[in-house]
Amino acid sequence: MPVIATVTGATGFLGRRLVHSLLEENDLIVRCLLRESSDTDALYENVPVIARERIEIHRGELNDKKFVEEHFANSDVVYHLAAALGGSASTMFLNTVIPTRQLLETAARVNVGRFVLISSMGVYGTQTVKRWGTLDESTPVDPMPEKRDPYTFSKVRQETVAQELSESLGLPLVIVRPGVIYGPGRSAVTSRVGLPLGPMVIRMGGGQQLPYTFVENCAEGIKLAGLTPDMSGEIFNLVDDDLPTGKRILRLMKQQGQRIRTLWIPRGAIGPLSRIYEWYSNWSEGQLPPVLTRHKCEAMWKPLRYSNAKAKHKLNWKPKISTEDGLQQTIAG
Amino acid sequence: MPEPTHKLKIALLGCGQIADAHLSQIARIDSVEVVAVCDVHEDLAYQAAARFNVPKTYTNLDRMISEVRPDVVHITTPAHTHADLSIKLLNAGCHVYVEKPFTLDATESASVLAAVEFSNRSICVGHDQLFDPMWLRCRDWIQRGLIGKVGHIESILGYPIAGNFGALVAANPNHSVRKLPGGLFQNTISHPLYRITDLMDEDQPKIIGGWHTQPEYDFPTEMQLSFQGRTQSASLTFSTHIPPQRITRVYGSKGSLEIDIDAQTIRLNKIAKLPGAFAKLEVSWQHLRNASWNFANNCWRFAKADIHYFAGMKGLFETFYGSIQNGTDPPIPPHQIHRVTQLMDRIFDHCREQDGTSRINNVSTTPNQEVSKCL
Repeated sequence: MPVIATVTGATGFLGRRLVHSLLEENDLIVRCLLRESSDTDALYENVPVIARERIEIHRGELNDKKFVEEHFANSDVVYHLAAALGGSASTMFLNTVIPTRQLLETAARVNVGRFVLISSMGVYGTQTVKRWGTLDESTPVDPMPEKRDPYTFSKVRQETVAQELSESLGLPLVIVRPGVIYGPGRSAVTSRVGLPLGPMVIRMGGGQQLPYTFVENCAEGIKLAGLTPDMSGEIFNLVDDDLPTGKRILRLMKQQGQRIRTLWIPRGAIGPLSRIYEWYSNWSEGQLPPVLTRHKCEAMWKPLRYSNAKAKHKLNWKPKISTEDGLQQTIAG
Repeated sequence: MPEPTHKLKIALLGCGQIADAHLSQIARIDSVEVVAVCDVHEDLAYQAAARFNVPKTYTNLDRMISEVRPDVVHITTPAHTHADLSIKLLNAGCHVYVEKPFTLDATESASVLAAVEFSNRSICVGHDQLFDPMWLRCRDWIQRGLIGKVGHIESILGYPIAGNFGALVAANPNHSVRKLPGGLFQNTISHPLYRITDLMDEDQPKIIGGWHTQPEYDFPTEMQLSFQGRTQSASLTFSTHIPPQRITRVYGSKGSLEIDIDAQTIRLNKIAKLPGAFAKLEVSWQHLRNASWNFANNCWRFAKADIHYFAGMKGLFETFYGSIQNGTDPPIPPHQIHRVTQLMDRIFDHCREQDGTSRINNVSTTPNQEVSKCL
């Protein structure tokens, strides 16, 4: 019997790479649950005709319990990638947390073999890690996620819900926490590098490591988290080797002829500036929104090291694309 | 009989996106405290409570009412739930603040207002732009006679369909907004409409114009209406072709006012008194004075931390809470609430008649899970 791997969010930036990675496995069927409006062109791109036969497309809404139940049935593993990437906290919760709760309940009801939840490395609280210390799977999750951005807040809640339901319903669960996923089609200049201000980027520090993972490396790790035996209850961080710094990314972009204007905020100034900004935001009752707070700055730009040892050891994962190559491909577009 | 003054206990029902605006503005008011939030989705109630330090969350309205006994409940659920929830809360002894649109139609509006009479409680609708600092200034200047008698009002709402909420509505044929009798407009035209009715004497003027469906959509997305009264006229433009903007121009016998709620500016243009070519200099001078005044005013307000997107909401909340605490009339009189609802009914009937269509869709009474404000 072939393994049935069901994927939500299969046409997304990461999802289609996961599908391609899964198709490298023999005797495996990839079942994609897509919205009516989802475009499948990129999903089939560069997939050999023979492998295309192993892609099942089912269209419907993830909040349609009947649709989900029908297609979760017989699934050996469900990879849940679908999530909102932007919007207010309520929008993020509505499109990320609430569907996840329903999917987990359905998965337990139809005895899915394993549920792989794609979370984010952003869920960690860095308060307990010293500067230049190592952040790994033993680092606690942020105890005050509501003080972070809506995406991180929704991801922390999504994990909590998943862990509670996994325990109460007896559903085998694996959580994968990728770092910042980049690759062709998505810029390498993210909020970890700095904040956009009109046509400029305010570079925050710049010498600290960034927890990045190239999209194809990340997809490979996620695949292994679903297929490697006896992983129930495990959590894996996915970041590449030889992690880049913001300075390195911006330098590479300039070397490749891209014009990017930056304003540098030295690392030592980030703390005091964030305190002043946070004070002003509170004093003015939100005349300027609290986008730059001490809590957020610590989480985003504190100089840390990021470990991928557990994924390498337990999943036998190895980032195939080097950071240098990944950045070159991304900047080239 | 005035109620004793105490810190009013506020509860909020429906923790979607607009609830954030309510909770952030209530937090700026010292005379009240938010004691609970409620949503059918426990996760939505949780996120709102966590971000705004609300002590209790509920997924059941009856339980919330019996346990926290709120003085005022804010309803921020989808429009099709407003009437039933308002009546239930009024009968339970709560004062009610309802987000716009007040109800689905005038029949529902009449039922709710009857419940207000019966329960001896107050109700307020989210016509918050009437309490925006620039609108209050506009009213003040009109009352002081600066533009003479108001003869025409022009109200514009720019609403790009690709915006956060518009895109959700466009992408989902089952979105609850698409099922409202007036579709997207029912959820959005309250604001530009009450800016007209606030200055127009005639309750139910003649309506000319209609709505329009762009080829790439399967529901009406544009609206252009003219209102003709005996001594006044008005126009309402809802356009998805222009960036978000909320602009009103008020034309009087001595001059005109332009109020831009997003820019927080107001321009007073008086009819030129100088003759011939001198008049061109006089008008330009007025523009320069307007620009200087607005720049100085906004600098001063920025320095005082007085520039807030939902400033009108805070003003309306404060006035509503004050009316409850002091036993005075509510800030939006019930007949004005009903008038806007009646006018919206007439607008949608008129547009359908022009369009040759029946109702945009049947009203769903089933909460749609993709709508954040669900209850």
